[in-house]
Amino acid sequence: MFKLDRKSLVSISLIAAVSIGLTACVGGDASPDGIGAVSSTGASHSYATGPDAGKLVVDGGVTYPVNNNKSGIYYVNSDTQNGGYSYGRTPTKNELDAWATSVTPYAPPPEGHGNVQDGADLYDAKCGMCHGDFGSGGGGYPSLAKGNAYVGQKSLTNQRGITEDGPNRVFGTYWPQASTLWWYIKEGMPHPAPKSLTDDQVYSLVAYILNINEMKIDGELVGDDYDLDRAKFLKIVMPNKDGFVPKIDGPQGQDNARAYFNDPKNIGAKTVSERCMTDCIKGETKVTRIKVETKDFLPPLSTVRDLPVVEKKAGSNDAAKASYEGTCKMCHGADGMGAPVVGNKKAWAKVTTQGIDKVYDHAINGLNGMPPKGGTDLADSDLKAVVDYMISMSK
Amino acid sequence: MNDNNSQKNLESSSNDTHNTLARRDFFRKSAALSATALAGTSLFAGTKAMADDPAIINHVPWGIKFGDPVTKNLYGMPSEYEHNNTRRNAELLSSGNFYASIAMCPIQESEGIITPNGLFFSRSHGGVAQVNPNEFRLMIHGLIDKPLVLTLDQLKRYPSVSRIHFIECPANGGPEWRGPQFNSVQFAKGMMSCAEWTGVYIKTILKDLGLKPTAKWMLAEGSDNSEMGRTVPIDKVLDDAMIVWGQNGEALRPEQGYPVRLVLPGWEGNLCVKWLKRLEFSDEPFYAKEETAKYTALKPDGKAVQHFYANEVNSIITSPCPEKPWTDLKKGDMVEIEGLAWSGYGTITGVDITFDGCKNWTPTKLKGLVLPKAWTRFSFMYKYEGKPLIIGSRAMDDAGRMQPTIEEEVSVMGVESVYHRNSIATWEVTEKGEVHNVQIRS
Repeated sequence: MFKLDRKSLVSISLIAAVSIGLTACVGGDASPDGIGAVSSTGASHSYATGPDAGKLVVDGGVTYPVNNNKSGIYYVNSDTQNGGYSYGRTPTKNELDAWATSVTPYAPPPEGHGNVQDGADLYDAKCGMCHGDFGSGGGGYPSLAKGNAYVGQKSLTNQRGITEDGPNRVFGTYWPQASTLWWYIKEGMPHPAPKSLTDDQVYSLVAYILNINEMKIDGELVGDDYDLDRAKFLKIVMPNKDGFVPKIDGPQGQDNARAYFNDPKNIGAKTVSERCMTDCIKGETKVTRIKVETKDFLPPLSTVRDLPVVEKKAGSNDAAKASYEGTCKMCHGADGMGAPVVGNKKAWAKVTTQGIDKVYDHAINGLNGMPPKGGTDLADSDLKAVVDYMISMSK
Repeated sequence: MNDNNSQKNLESSSNDTHNTLARRDFFRKSAALSATALAGTSLFAGTKAMADDPAIINHVPWGIKFGDPVTKNLYGMPSEYEHNNTRRNAELLSSGNFYASIAMCPIQESEGIITPNGLFFSRSHGGVAQVNPNEFRLMIHGLIDKPLVLTLDQLKRYPSVSRIHFIECPANGGPEWRGPQFNSVQFAKGMMSCAEWTGVYIKTILKDLGLKPTAKWMLAEGSDNSEMGRTVPIDKVLDDAMIVWGQNGEALRPEQGYPVRLVLPGWEGNLCVKWLKRLEFSDEPFYAKEETAKYTALKPDGKAVQHFYANEVNSIITSPCPEKPWTDLKKGDMVEIEGLAWSGYGTITGVDITFDGCKNWTPTKLKGLVLPKAWTRFSFMYKYEGKPLIIGSRAMDDAGRMQPTIEEEVSVMGVESVYHRNSIATWEVTEKGEVHNVQIRS
């Protein structure tokens, strides 16, 4: 171990030790982390300011408090934090109404209703081409249903390679809240024409998606003739409502997240205190290689440094353009070289009055300062295409 | 990414035996070619018969004529010879089209810690929106005393800060939970890039708006096709959350949310909402689609981690890599092993390297700027001996976290979580110097 790193390693293990100690006491309000707020990098495990000053950083990492006009390695102008800004204006009520469109478990959707049959018709017209018949998915677009949601929810403990099937993760089996579906259909669907559905249309599509997931509202199956309105919508309980950690609702929500992410064990993380340098794997190491390689990359992988290949198709405008850009433009692209400049209508009108055959002839055999074929090795037909291109760009 | 389906597609592609353009063959051929070249060189070395290099003997074409006038390409372009240094896509990472899709950053070609704007990885849920900056409005509302509407010019009047931060999609490496899939560092780890962002801290704006004490969460919503929105805890908003308009010294690129995006240093790229439109403060979370249906990590007990904020400490060796093998080296050459380390928790404090598939480890040296929540370069000088190796890197940060082994991570997260995979990545280096993506499972 070399000198430069030793210093930092010592501070790492110090922080790691502190971190472990802290992890043990996370739960309610964590006390200040007691490492003098800053490490050698200027980092602190707890906030110095704000409503949660003294608490651990919410993501399990560190923060860089401002000390002497520096935050970590960065200089800062602390005067910018004194307020006194009056830019912008207050939104009007109509503006707020137009944009404050969140639909959440705490902000219900607007009044409205729609039935399963209308939803099915709308789905076939606007959704099925991507999401497949009855929400079966396809072409890489998400499936919206895979049989009964309550049965499917039980598959979430499946692990491919260990169990035969993987977990079934669709709206009915996985999503914790129905509000998400309403909101997303209203704002983001249909994919090519979002924000085009009325509230009633959204209700009918939601009704249809509940139907194909074989879901119940208030004990009643959402059958083929079910009519969904806001009151019924608010009674939806998703099968996987409690399938998510940490719990983020209520006044303790953020502290729950703080406690969860500050415990490395919850997410398969590891601390520096567990650092092993020698004989870290006992016995044979098992090397897993790629079984079938995925390599449909666009564009194909290459680190070669060459000129891009230009397909030279006779008569192709692209090839002609590329030839022009690559060669002819040197003289025909700017004044001062004596050649008629592409884009100069007057100059090219004069050229073309000679007749196109004469122009081709000059291009092929050269004229004044211009070498035969402009110094290229293009076939006559390709060269003529370049001339055509230059004329077309000068009309 | 539509990860459910991507995983599906990956599976089906694993059964696809029609892929004939074998990358290994490609490298074998180039290895053979360079071997011939070497043999040729040594044959003539020390003799007067050595062939002269026409690149030296002859005048080069660009030396005997005009170059381009300075008026060409007033917004500069890379050399045409660099056309292979580009973002790349794979159909299996797309939701059936290239609108809800991702283009990977060519990190095998990255230099230093800054990604050029044209190469920054690009992910969208309804295509790259082309926003007219004159019609851009940012609305801040909800649990604040004074709701606010800003034009772009008004927003840019606030005092600015510039910070170098990586942005990483939490699905970076996600297709490889069950085994290696891509013989490419661009596709194995290219869902990330690093840039200098210029904008304003949200806490600076909030000073004058009267944030209510009951405000615990902030919704950030985009104005794009998908109206992409995510919930952010107030602690992050009041710590280092930024609204940015500058990227590496110029306006954001459309692919990064022009004219304005959110940057939450170190956190999931998906949380750094692009084409930003509004910020709404609330006492309860919003349950947006991309924080429920997606971007949640399913564990083997059937519970999924939601609000999984920070991208964990991570690293990858970029030289050598499958795209940049050691097939041109000869025994005894001293060669620099280089890589990138990054952590959404804080600052990289060290990176270890293994040559024997994670059994034994040696510290590497960090080099260049070492900044919080930014790409950090590590370097190790190695004497090439033409021996088969399994090399890998393991990063640590000042939050006290370090990368787990694959077994350690999978034992907790299973293989279905899609997101937040940060276990140690390894390359197999063959006797010929070819490099392949492999995984070590003890």
